[in-house]
Amino acid sequence: MKKALALTLATVTLVALAVVAGRAGAAPAASAAPAKASAGSLVGTGATFPFPLISKWIPEVGRAYGIDITYSPTGSGAGIAAITARTVDFGASDAPLSPDQLTACNGCLVIPWALSATSIPYNLPGLNGRLKLTGPVLADIYLGKITNWNDQRIRALNAGRNLPDMKITPVYRSDGSGTTFNFTEYLSAVSKEFRDRVGNNTSVNFPAGVGARGSSGVAGVVDKTQGALTYVDVAYSKANKLQFAQMRNNAGKYALPGLRGIQAALSKLPARVTQLSQLKIVNPPKAAGPLAYPICTFTYVIVPTKSGKAADLRKFVYWSVTQGQKFGPPLLFQPLPKTVQAFAFREIKKIQVT
Amino acid sequence: MTSISDTPAASSVELERRGLRLGDFLFKGVSLLAAAGSAFLLGLIAWKVLDLAWPAVQHFGLEFLWTEEWNPATDVYGALVFIYGTVLTSVIALALATPLSIAIALFLTEMAPKRLAAPIATMIELLAAIPSVVLGLWGILVFGPWVAEHLEPFIADTLHLGFLPIFSGSPNQVGILPASLILTIMIIPIASAICRELFSRTPRELTDGALALGSTRWEAIRGVMFAYAAPGIVAAVLLGLGRAFGEAIAVTQTIGSANQINISWFATGDTRASRIASQYQGATSQLQASAILYLAAILMIISLVTNVAAQLVVNKFERSRRAL
Repeated sequence: MKKALALTLATVTLVALAVVAGRAGAAPAASAAPAKASAGSLVGTGATFPFPLISKWIPEVGRAYGIDITYSPTGSGAGIAAITARTVDFGASDAPLSPDQLTACNGCLVIPWALSATSIPYNLPGLNGRLKLTGPVLADIYLGKITNWNDQRIRALNAGRNLPDMKITPVYRSDGSGTTFNFTEYLSAVSKEFRDRVGNNTSVNFPAGVGARGSSGVAGVVDKTQGALTYVDVAYSKANKLQFAQMRNNAGKYALPGLRGIQAALSKLPARVTQLSQLKIVNPPKAAGPLAYPICTFTYVIVPTKSGKAADLRKFVYWSVTQGQKFGPPLLFQPLPKTVQAFAFREIKKIQVT
Repeated sequence: MTSISDTPAASSVELERRGLRLGDFLFKGVSLLAAAGSAFLLGLIAWKVLDLAWPAVQHFGLEFLWTEEWNPATDVYGALVFIYGTVLTSVIALALATPLSIAIALFLTEMAPKRLAAPIATMIELLAAIPSVVLGLWGILVFGPWVAEHLEPFIADTLHLGFLPIFSGSPNQVGILPASLILTIMIIPIASAICRELFSRTPRELTDGALALGSTRWEAIRGVMFAYAAPGIVAAVLLGLGRAFGEAIAVTQTIGSANQINISWFATGDTRASRIASQYQGATSQLQASAILYLAAILMIISLVTNVAAQLVVNKFERSRRAL
């Protein structure tokens, strides 16, 4: 028996060694292979957040141009890794690429192609009216500094509401998610302490609360826990009839994450968008007006500047930022504003045939 | 006469022998291919995991094992929270599942009437057929809230165990306790099926002999059946441990994904497999993806060690039983 075990272990080790040794020669051939596919087909992977929208696009693009698109929602990180290695024709990410990632990607374009907002659902049975919150209060709830619903700072925002003496259970996504990126981007923008202690990413280290997997997970926990609150993209909240909070914007008004709220949040984008950093739309300025909802985000497609399928890529991305946008509103994706479209057009032109 | 009949007979025997040889050869080849293929695949997977984990291994070294922080925002990763969570949930689950499984198996083989035993056995085995993601959903929506509203207050208040640090704090519907209980539910079908098989294979004459010598039923079970089945039970428990170590989805859904070690079982925690399942797809930095695969490599090594340990324990029992 021991002999057999030893033999098995030896085999495993040998095989592993053999593969390591064989890898050096085989690697270039293996990585070159996937890029070559039949004309008229595009393969992409990445963020799960825009997946409902992309699923609507795929058959439409097939009908319009005969381009066969395959998209696997593997997550933003996987999308960035795949396009960096050029194993796919395009990647998708909820977070724009960091400078390091952009350098590593070696000639990649990051183009905004969808737009949505993050809502703050809560479970407070018997509350008369809708909960009102501000960014700093929300940040302190997730930092574990405000722990009870009858806290002075929450009561001050909700005059006349019967807030209970109940523990607040903040619920966060345990999986990496574009929604978490958007939410922490907002909290970092409004709270210096949150930015320093927690930061902004697709998954972060929340000091307080409980984690759950996926939008359905966090919504499930909130549904079953009195006093819980969380963050999910607004399409999910609406589809599941969750009660979500009004957020105070810089105009001092309480806004909702409807299409009008998102549109107002975009109203102060520069007339000519020339770089990605201008597309930060969380916590919009006072001039954006009373309707502006403060937690909105773009989501991005990542394409190489040089591609064997440049023509198809240009058609597909152009179609998605123009005609594709009309499929957004039923899924609570706000159509891209003209300035952002113009930015996208200029970027699309940079896609060249190798 | 002899020469005429001799030639065809000899050739048919020859053919038959050759045919047999061909069959033997094919059989041998196919079996070897299957066995070598799976070993090769295991090697390939092991290598790929280590290869992808390598950047994190180089970056964090062995310190990874006792670093508590896991922070994708600052790209600092450590495995301590998950190692602690994995060990704790598995130990709780095994401590509950082992006696329950043995009791179930004993009831089904020794006490239950045949007509009752068969349907109950089938139902317990069906429990193993529930996909873990469904069990996890049930954990979120039904079982977790029940634990928070009834079980945890019962432990803390009715049993007055709230003074113990492990039962302190306010009840939670996601946390270490609900996740451990879900794991218990997942282990029981496997462990009890193996135990049942072991008990039913105990030679009748041995227990009969014990009874004839005047031992009670319990003494016969304890002295004969347990002794006979002990190595098998150990193997069953270790199989259950493997299941508990590796279960990802159901744990992710019910454990609450904590980023720090909480002493209270009512609070949240996390396990390696759960963290791998929840964050690999969303990892934004190469280092995070690599750190997650580092977790996977640790998980693989620990599983290998557990399996080898199981084999050694079984062998030892086997030897001491033969000596008897």
